[in-house]
Amino acid sequence: MNDYLEVRNLSKSFEGFQLHNITFTLPKGYIMGLIGPNGSGKTTTIKLILNMLKRTSGEVKILGFDNIASEQEAKRNLGVVFDSNYFSDEWKISQVEKSVSAFYENWNTQKFSETLKRFHIQPSKKVKELSKGMQMKLMLACAFSYDAKLLILDEPTSGLDPVSRDELLHILSEYIEDGEHSVLFSTHITGDLERAADYITYISYGELFFSGGKDEFIDSFRIVKGGCEELSTDLGKKMLGIRNFSTGFEALVKTEDLKQFAHLNVEPATIDDIVVFTSKRGEQYE
Amino acid sequence: MSNIWKSAKLDFSLVKPYVKTICFTMVLPVVFAAINRSLLTGISFAMCFIAMTTGYTFSITEKNSMERLYGILPIRKSDMVIGRYIFIIIMGLTALIFSLIAHPVILTILGESISIFDYISAAVTGIFLFALYTVFQLPGYYRFGSIKGRVFMYIPVAGFLITLLLITKSPVGESKLLFTVINSPILLMLLAVIFVIAMYIVSILVSIKILKNKEM
Amino acid sequence: MKLIISNISGIPIYEQIKQQVKSAIMSGDLQADETLPSLRTLAKELKISVLTVTRAYTELEQEGFVKNIQGRGCFVLGQGSELLREQLICKIENNLSEAISAARVANLSEEELHHLLSILMEEKTDE
Repeated sequence: MNDYLEVRNLSKSFEGFQLHNITFTLPKGYIMGLIGPNGSGKTTTIKLILNMLKRTSGEVKILGFDNIASEQEAKRNLGVVFDSNYFSDEWKISQVEKSVSAFYENWNTQKFSETLKRFHIQPSKKVKELSKGMQMKLMLACAFSYDAKLLILDEPTSGLDPVSRDELLHILSEYIEDGEHSVLFSTHITGDLERAADYITYISYGELFFSGGKDEFIDSFRIVKGGCEELSTDLGKKMLGIRNFSTGFEALVKTEDLKQFAHLNVEPATIDDIVVFTSKRGEQYE
Repeated sequence: MSNIWKSAKLDFSLVKPYVKTICFTMVLPVVFAAINRSLLTGISFAMCFIAMTTGYTFSITEKNSMERLYGILPIRKSDMVIGRYIFIIIMGLTALIFSLIAHPVILTILGESISIFDYISAAVTGIFLFALYTVFQLPGYYRFGSIKGRVFMYIPVAGFLITLLLITKSPVGESKLLFTVINSPILLMLLAVIFVIAMYIVSILVSIKILKNKEM
Repeated sequence: MKLIISNISGIPIYEQIKQQVKSAIMSGDLQADETLPSLRTLAKELKISVLTVTRAYTELEQEGFVKNIQGRGCFVLGQGSELLREQLICKIENNLSEAISAARVANLSEEELHHLLSILMEEKTDE
C-alpha cells in the first residue's frame, strides 16, 4: 500500500461554486500541502474526502479503501484535525478518551497519556479550559493514540501564534519520520509549508492548478522585476500575474518562458508569491 | 450491534452534564399527578416532558460543531442513528420507570388507590405517547437541526388531541370493530405496542435516509 | 558533519546539501564508508522536506559520491575525493576555455592572460 490518499476527478456543485475534477495522490511517508486562497475549495475537498458532503462525481480512496463503500475501514486509519475543537467543551479530557477510544480497536491508553504529557495538557481539565493551541494538540493526541496512518489537517494553524505553528510542524515531521505515515495539510498560511512540504496541491477557484512536488512547483516559476518602460505587450501576455507601480512592475512568469525576460531582474518565487499572483484573476496587464 | 451501543453511549456522554436538569423536569409531573389524582395524567405529563429533552443531543452537537467528530469516527451513519434512537428510548423508559414508582407512591399517600389496570394502562399510554412524540421529533431534528426541529415536537400533541376528538365525535365511533377494540383492553394494548414498534421502524428508516443525504 | 542551510542564498536547498557534502568529502570531514545522516532525520532536523533531501542524496549517488543501501543508509564511497577532483578539473577546463575565447575576442595575448591568472591567484590566496 504505497498511496495513502487517492483523489480522482472529484467534483461537487453548489449554488454559486463548483469544485471541478480535483485529482491528486499522496504517497506514504510524505507531507502534502493543500493550498489556495480562502474559498477556493480546500475545506470542501476535505469534507468530500470525509464523506461529510455528497460528491457529484469522482473517487476517493484512503489507504486503498473507498471512502463511501468502505467508509468504516477507511476512517479507522484516519486522523483529522480541524481549525476548531470538535469535542463537547463540557467534556473532561478523560471523557474525551472514553468517548473516542471506544471506536478504535487499537487505541493505546499509554500513548495517549504520554502524548498529553508531551503536549503539556493537563488531563484533569475540561476541553473548554484549554487554549486554542492546546485544543488542536488534543485532536492530534487522539489521532496518534490509534496510530492513524493518514493525518488530515484543515487550517490547523489559523489563530495560532508562530511558536505553536513551529511546534506543530516539528510534531508533523516526527510523525512522518518512520516513513509509514502521511499528512495532508490544508492551509492558507503557506509560509508553514515553504520548507517542510514534500508535495503541493494547489486549488484555485474550484479548479486544480497544480499537483506535484513542492520543489518542482517552486522551480516552475520566477518573479521578474523591471521598469515601466521595459514592459511590452508581448511580455505582458506571458505573465501569469503582475503588480504595477509608478516605479516599475513585478510579475510572475513560468520558468520555461524565462529567456524572454532575461534582461530583467529575475528572482526565485515563494509559494506565497505564486498563489497571490495567480489568484489575481482578471487583473491583466494593460 | 456493538457500534450502535457505542453511539448510544457517546450520546449519553454528551448529555451527562445536563442530567441534573433533566431529573428536575421529572418533578413537576409528580405534582400534576397529585393535583389530578390520576396516574394517567401524571404519566402523560412525565412522558411529554421527557420527550422535550430529546433535542439535547442535537443541540449540544450543534453547539460545538461536533458533527465533524461524527464525520471522522469509523462508524456507519445508520449505526449513529439507531444508537441515538436507542439512547432516547432508554431515557424515556428510565423516566417512565421512575414515574411509575414515584407517582403511585404520592397518590397512595394522598389516599388514592391504584388498580393493576390503571397501572398497566398508564404505562402503555406513556410508552405510546413518548413514541408518538419522538418518531416525529427525531427526523425533524435530523432534517432541520435542533432549533427549527422544535416545531415538530408540538405537532403530535396537537394531532393526538385532534384524533381523540374526531374518534369520539364521528360516526366511526359506532363501528363494530372499533367498539370491540376499545372494549378489549388487552387488544388495545397489544395494538399500541405493535403500533409503537412499527412507528419507530419507519422513523428510524426516515432518519437514516435524511442523515445519509445531509451535507455537513 | 556540518550542514548549514541558507534561506537567502538563492541556491536551491538540495544543491546546498550536495555542495556541503562534497566539501566535507574533499576536506576529509567525511571519510569513506562513513554514513550520511538518515534521510528523514536530517529532513526533520533541518526542517526541510524529505523529497529535497532525497533528491540531494540521489544525485550524489548518481554522481558517484555515495551509495544508498536500502535499510542501511547512505555510505560515502572511497573514490569520493578523486571523483570530486575530476569534476572540479572538468569545471576548471570549461572555465578556462571560456576565458580563452573571451581573451581572443578582447585581443588579449597569452602572456597577458597568464599575467591575469597570476594576479588573481595572488588575490585569492590573500582572501
